[in-house]
Amino acid sequence: MFGLQSSGAAASWVVGRMGTDAHLYDDPDDASIPALLDSRFDADKVDALKRLLALIAQGVDVAHLFPQVAFPISLLRFSSSSSSSSCCCSHYSIRLTPGSELRTYRWSRTLHRSRWRSRSLFTSTSYTTPTSINSFPRCGSRRQNEALLSVNIFQKDLSDINPLVRAWALRTMAGIRLHVVAPLVLVAVKKCARDPSAYVRKCAAYALCKLSDLLPDEAMALEEIVDILFGDNSPGVVGAAALAFKTVCPSCLALVSKHFRRLCETLPDIEEWTQIILIEILLRYVIARHGLVKDSLLSVEIQGINDSDPVASMPTQHDSAGNGLCGTISNIMLFRHYIEEFSGFPDGEGDSLRLSSVTTSGNNDVAILLKCTSPLLWSRNSGVILAAASVHWIMAPIGDMLGNILVFAKTMPLLFAPFYEEFFINASDPYQTRALKLEILTTIATEPSIQAIFEEFQDYIKDPDRKFVADTVAAVALCAQKLPSIATTCLEGLLALVFYESSISNSGHFDGEDAVLVQAIMSIKAIVKVNPVSYEKVIVRLVRSVDKIKEPAARCLIIWIFGEYNFMGSLISRIVSAVLKYLAWTFTADVVETKLQILNASAKVIMHCPEEHMEEFKRIVAYVIELSTYDLNYDVRDRARLLSRLLPCYTTRRGPSHHPPNGDICKELAYHIFDGKLQPSSPSTNNYRIYLPGSLSQVVLHAAPGYTPLPKPQSMGLSHNKIIEPNRNNNSVAESGSSIYESSSVYDSESEGDGLSDRGTDGSLHHQDNQDAPLVHIYDTSIQQGQTGQNAEENFADLISTDLTELMSKSALESWLDEAPADTLVQNSLQASSARVTFTNHSFEQKPKLHTLLDSSDSNGLRVLYAFSSEVSPRSRILVCVDLYLENVTTQQLTDIAIKSEEASSGVDSIGQTSEGSVSVPTIVPVEGIHSLAPQQTAKMVLEVHFHHHLLPLKLSVLCNGKIHPAKLHPDIAYFVRPLPMDLNAFLCKENQLRGMFEYARRCAFKDHLDKLEHSDKNLQVAHSVASKILSNTNVHLVSMDMPVTFNVDDTSGLCWRFSSEIPSTSKPCLITVLAEGHASGPLDLTVKVNSEDTVFALNLLNRVVAIIE
Amino acid sequence: MLQCIFILSDSGEVIVEKQMVGHRVDRAICGWFWDYVLANAAGDPSKILQVVVSPTHYLFQIYRNGVTFLACTQVEMPPLMAIEFLSRVADVLTDYLGDLNEDIIKDNFVIVYQILDEMMDNGFPLTTEPNILKELIAPPNIVNKMLNVVTGKSSTLGSKLPDAAASFVPWRTTVVKDASNEVYVNIVEELDACVNREGVLVKCEAYGEIQVNCSLPGVPELTMSFANPTIMNDFTFHPCVRFRPWESDQVLSFVPPDGQFKLMSYRVKKLKKTPIYVKPQLTSDSGNCRVSVMVGIRNDPGKPIDSITVQFQLPPLIVSADLTANYGTVDILADKTCLWTIGQIPKDKAPALSGNLRLEEGLAQLHTMPTFQVKFKIMGVALSGLQIDKLDVKNTPSAPYKGFRAQTQAGKYEVRS
Repeated sequence: MFGLQSSGAAASWVVGRMGTDAHLYDDPDDASIPALLDSRFDADKVDALKRLLALIAQGVDVAHLFPQVAFPISLLRFSSSSSSSSCCCSHYSIRLTPGSELRTYRWSRTLHRSRWRSRSLFTSTSYTTPTSINSFPRCGSRRQNEALLSVNIFQKDLSDINPLVRAWALRTMAGIRLHVVAPLVLVAVKKCARDPSAYVRKCAAYALCKLSDLLPDEAMALEEIVDILFGDNSPGVVGAAALAFKTVCPSCLALVSKHFRRLCETLPDIEEWTQIILIEILLRYVIARHGLVKDSLLSVEIQGINDSDPVASMPTQHDSAGNGLCGTISNIMLFRHYIEEFSGFPDGEGDSLRLSSVTTSGNNDVAILLKCTSPLLWSRNSGVILAAASVHWIMAPIGDMLGNILVFAKTMPLLFAPFYEEFFINASDPYQTRALKLEILTTIATEPSIQAIFEEFQDYIKDPDRKFVADTVAAVALCAQKLPSIATTCLEGLLALVFYESSISNSGHFDGEDAVLVQAIMSIKAIVKVNPVSYEKVIVRLVRSVDKIKEPAARCLIIWIFGEYNFMGSLISRIVSAVLKYLAWTFTADVVETKLQILNASAKVIMHCPEEHMEEFKRIVAYVIELSTYDLNYDVRDRARLLSRLLPCYTTRRGPSHHPPNGDICKELAYHIFDGKLQPSSPSTNNYRIYLPGSLSQVVLHAAPGYTPLPKPQSMGLSHNKIIEPNRNNNSVAESGSSIYESSSVYDSESEGDGLSDRGTDGSLHHQDNQDAPLVHIYDTSIQQGQTGQNAEENFADLISTDLTELMSKSALESWLDEAPADTLVQNSLQASSARVTFTNHSFEQKPKLHTLLDSSDSNGLRVLYAFSSEVSPRSRILVCVDLYLENVTTQQLTDIAIKSEEASSGVDSIGQTSEGSVSVPTIVPVEGIHSLAPQQTAKMVLEVHFHHHLLPLKLSVLCNGKIHPAKLHPDIAYFVRPLPMDLNAFLCKENQLRGMFEYARRCAFKDHLDKLEHSDKNLQVAHSVASKILSNTNVHLVSMDMPVTFNVDDTSGLCWRFSSEIPSTSKPCLITVLAEGHASGPLDLTVKVNSEDTVFALNLLNRVVAIIE
Repeated sequence: MLQCIFILSDSGEVIVEKQMVGHRVDRAICGWFWDYVLANAAGDPSKILQVVVSPTHYLFQIYRNGVTFLACTQVEMPPLMAIEFLSRVADVLTDYLGDLNEDIIKDNFVIVYQILDEMMDNGFPLTTEPNILKELIAPPNIVNKMLNVVTGKSSTLGSKLPDAAASFVPWRTTVVKDASNEVYVNIVEELDACVNREGVLVKCEAYGEIQVNCSLPGVPELTMSFANPTIMNDFTFHPCVRFRPWESDQVLSFVPPDGQFKLMSYRVKKLKKTPIYVKPQLTSDSGNCRVSVMVGIRNDPGKPIDSITVQFQLPPLIVSADLTANYGTVDILADKTCLWTIGQIPKDKAPALSGNLRLEEGLAQLHTMPTFQVKFKIMGVALSGLQIDKLDVKNTPSAPYKGFRAQTQAGKYEVRS
């Protein structure tokens, strides 16, 4: 395409490298960049800028050079008209045309965007990262001025004749992520949204996206601009507007309604990237506006749920073995998760969807959307194809649906059945692709196609990738279960494979062969399970091969099959005695797992054995048990002992005459243990891809941050109102102490109120220490945990005896003993017996920490202390309440005490004037001052602060006796949240939605409990002290406290606290989980985990919680 | 919304880093990614999935000629959008720089950086149309380089907004200078086939692209129709193609971009014949494996079949391989791949490869069988049988020269043994 370039490539290496910037890339630092920037020569400056760019591209922080770059650029712009030669100093251009000041933008923009915007002090002010700004406060303000200086120039250039200059000026301006500048950018965007050049309008839409998080208060203004841009007649601008819509106000679907028809018509003309976004918006709009389409897959399934009892129709994995059933089950699952309303209620509460929320495909809007998206299936961009396909998947009537991915196949296998050849595996496919294709093939296999698919599978068996071969073998079993007609063929093939593998895998040459062998036997097991009697011969042949198979896992499986079906049919029973003898003979040579299987199998045999063989079998079993009683491994010895107790009449050599007193019970128990029906588990059912097709969540199998399900059908009016009118309860009574709190948890408000009157002369404020035993509930078990915990050991013993089956399972035991990682521990502790103790917030002593705002020595005797209060401000939920305790420590009257924010009193900040209110610096709600304070008197004030999630100290001025005393209020992120009462199930449900990126964890040590370990139940004491520590320093709700039931009272592993809260400004939940490890008598090892969608906030909160604990 | 893009060399080193949004992504993520590649695919990024979940970010990656394009996000976004975008970046860079490798990117890092800057704004694709990009950022060429050497200055940035950026046909520059008034249409097909162990053709289909190289003045209107449009499935079109005429009459009507572009792609499924046959035979007993591969023409396409190669991975657990061919050359490459280069099939004899593989001690038979990958090239014919009926050019001052050609090559042509 580039003729010149190709000739350049043909030139020699020297020529090729000549004139490139390679040397700059390799050693950007070999000359002093500041010196070059200050040079008089343009070439030097250009060189310096190139070096800077090289540094940026290599990820070096060049923020410190910003002044040198920005300032000349600013000056340059002013002088550009007079001297054209200085123009080029900031751009590395050979053309000295007057219009070339453009390059200035290039460079400054480049700088802005790379380092500056991300790492520089600017940005730190806009996010809640407190560290950097604290260390360079002066530096920060200087940069700010420089930025403002450059903004001035950009503003001028917004009225340049050249549209490219306007566009770049706007892009650069929007790139400065500074709260101070944001309002100016908004003005610029408003202007550019009406620009004659479509390119500038498009850039305005992009700039909107950048503004949305800087100006949360200006949402209405931003929406208006989106509205204007949606009405644009240039397709490029409409596309960009869709992007802005998605970022600025994704839930304002009402905005779409007046443009809907035109948007649909423009859809094919806009850029491919924005097509993806716009399709999604339109789909959401149609669902919210008109509901689901009648006869579409989605609505059919939801009606299905409504028609039947919700509980009964809840999918259970156990019956998914059935052929047709499998599809419908995943349908229900799938669509529940697609729609917002449903996904929140896993237990079927959301089924109250009315049939009225269903529309027909004849609906105009739906028809237009379907019509406009269908040609997009021919796009060259696969993202567009998938987006268009998912519209049809969700909206179109079943009859004319299209689609091409696994989910589609899972729910509607028939769609893809004719195209099975597409999914045949290529040698060059990576493993994951192969596995996926295999799964699809298995899913879409039908009677006519299975023969061809099966032949393919046979070819795959010879593949060098043995892991893939094992997968294929598993797939064979799944196909056989689906289509019983081929089961016999499959079994033959699998048996042949088992014999073949067992012959070669002994030679020890191969890595993956064991896996193939084991998988083959597992597949046989799965197929046989469906109808064991008819596959009797297969079982016999398999069991006969047991002596050839050395792989322990494979042996175990065969022995299990033998034990399980030993009484079936006529053939097996004939070989039972021979096999049992063989097993007894090889017993000592086998590994532990196999020994355990042999013991189990012999128990099963003995329970089903016919009378005539009884004596013989008894002798063998008794021999095996005797062998294992002297085994080196304690598991084997334990199992043997268990068997001999459970089946005493069979396993001792004494005759049947000896009957223990409770023999019948034992026998009953034995039947339940060894004869229980196994839960069939299908390997493919556990990873439902339940997220919307084409989403990232669908790929990574968890809800990624920002994932939103489809809106509730016909919910548009509702959701719109919600946006417009935020929750404002106008309880204007700004009274402290009596908080109106809608939570169900009992909130103890009296302590604050009493605090003042109770306090002693020393000025320290202590709340009534509430040392009484807390209110304890234990559920999950029937045991009453004593308040003093004295009979704890007895209780535990009691618990153990009632929970025999749990003890039998090895995993439950292990979960108590092992040091499992945090996540699994939470789950295990749920399965294992652990007492869940409920405390409400008020059962803990809450000692809010007092901080000094103003010391009496600095201020003529006025001492001001403050404590963060957990109350909710009656004005707005986003305000944080701070209790101020003012005390006069002098002997004279103090008058005219008032608290003001420093900015308001000094009246600085010149730029702030244009943008007051919208700049989100922390602000306080003005409070009435105290007229006079008598000596030794104390007064309390409640200060309501809007911190905007800033963690910088808030500068206040305390006015007293006519003097101004500066003071600093240090924000506490732990009080930026408010308690969100929820029960444990809701908590776990939420937590599951907030995994992956939303999860932050840190470890820390806890020592406080060591001081007061006089309590007899140490665990309870520890639990109590951690909970009270957290509750008295943060504003959260205690959801639950899990205590492990252990043999060792000192062991705290498994102690788990869960706290819930929400971020008031966004109403996003913020969940805190604390897990303990270690011994109660020593320092505890705590793992603190925070799950929240607002990741920056979560990280800060996590650090704060850790600091509190330590 | 992509948060940043990294361009990595084939040793995992970061060549270029481009941050897109306020939150800077630490490049430690690249280290994590490369460890992941080493652990899961032995250092070959093409063998891992294109979406990778790291502890802190979701990563998207594509791999081109030893260069990995890695993008990070923390929020939900259509993954295909990210992958398509990275592919587009790689295409544009290849287009600009002539080729793509570590050295070329380093030599032209300024341009690479500018292109990334222009293609993405705030983590979302901004200008991806190559012809607009080329007006905004001039491609490097020998004249620029020489000027740079002579004058010590260089310019790659245009100062005027390309008209196309705001037009309804953004892919076309409004003023095409020195157009030679010619249009070339090239049908390029790839034959994907799979022959199973019994020698049965399991799957055979052609994936085709119609590439157009257009050098026409003004705003020309082109109409192209096919003699047999019904054989095609799964079409995708360049944005310039109008959907309506295709829906109604299966006619491609479009205003073409200037220069070379991919007009459409399609698939023709269920083909019945392959041009050549490859018959591998592996028989093993008592520690020896005899290999014999026969290659010959099955259905003569009427044009010479060029650059035939047969390649297969030697099975694991063999001690030595002794393979010879009666025609062409046999190489055993470093990664235990045997490459048999045949070229054209001679008239007088059928090429055959034969030889012996010695298995490891104690092993009587091979238990895994290699798959043979066949490559060939046929100029002048589209094996799917697709034929262009006619191409009309309107709205040009004089009748342009029209050229057509076709070519077929093997794609995933696999023969199992």
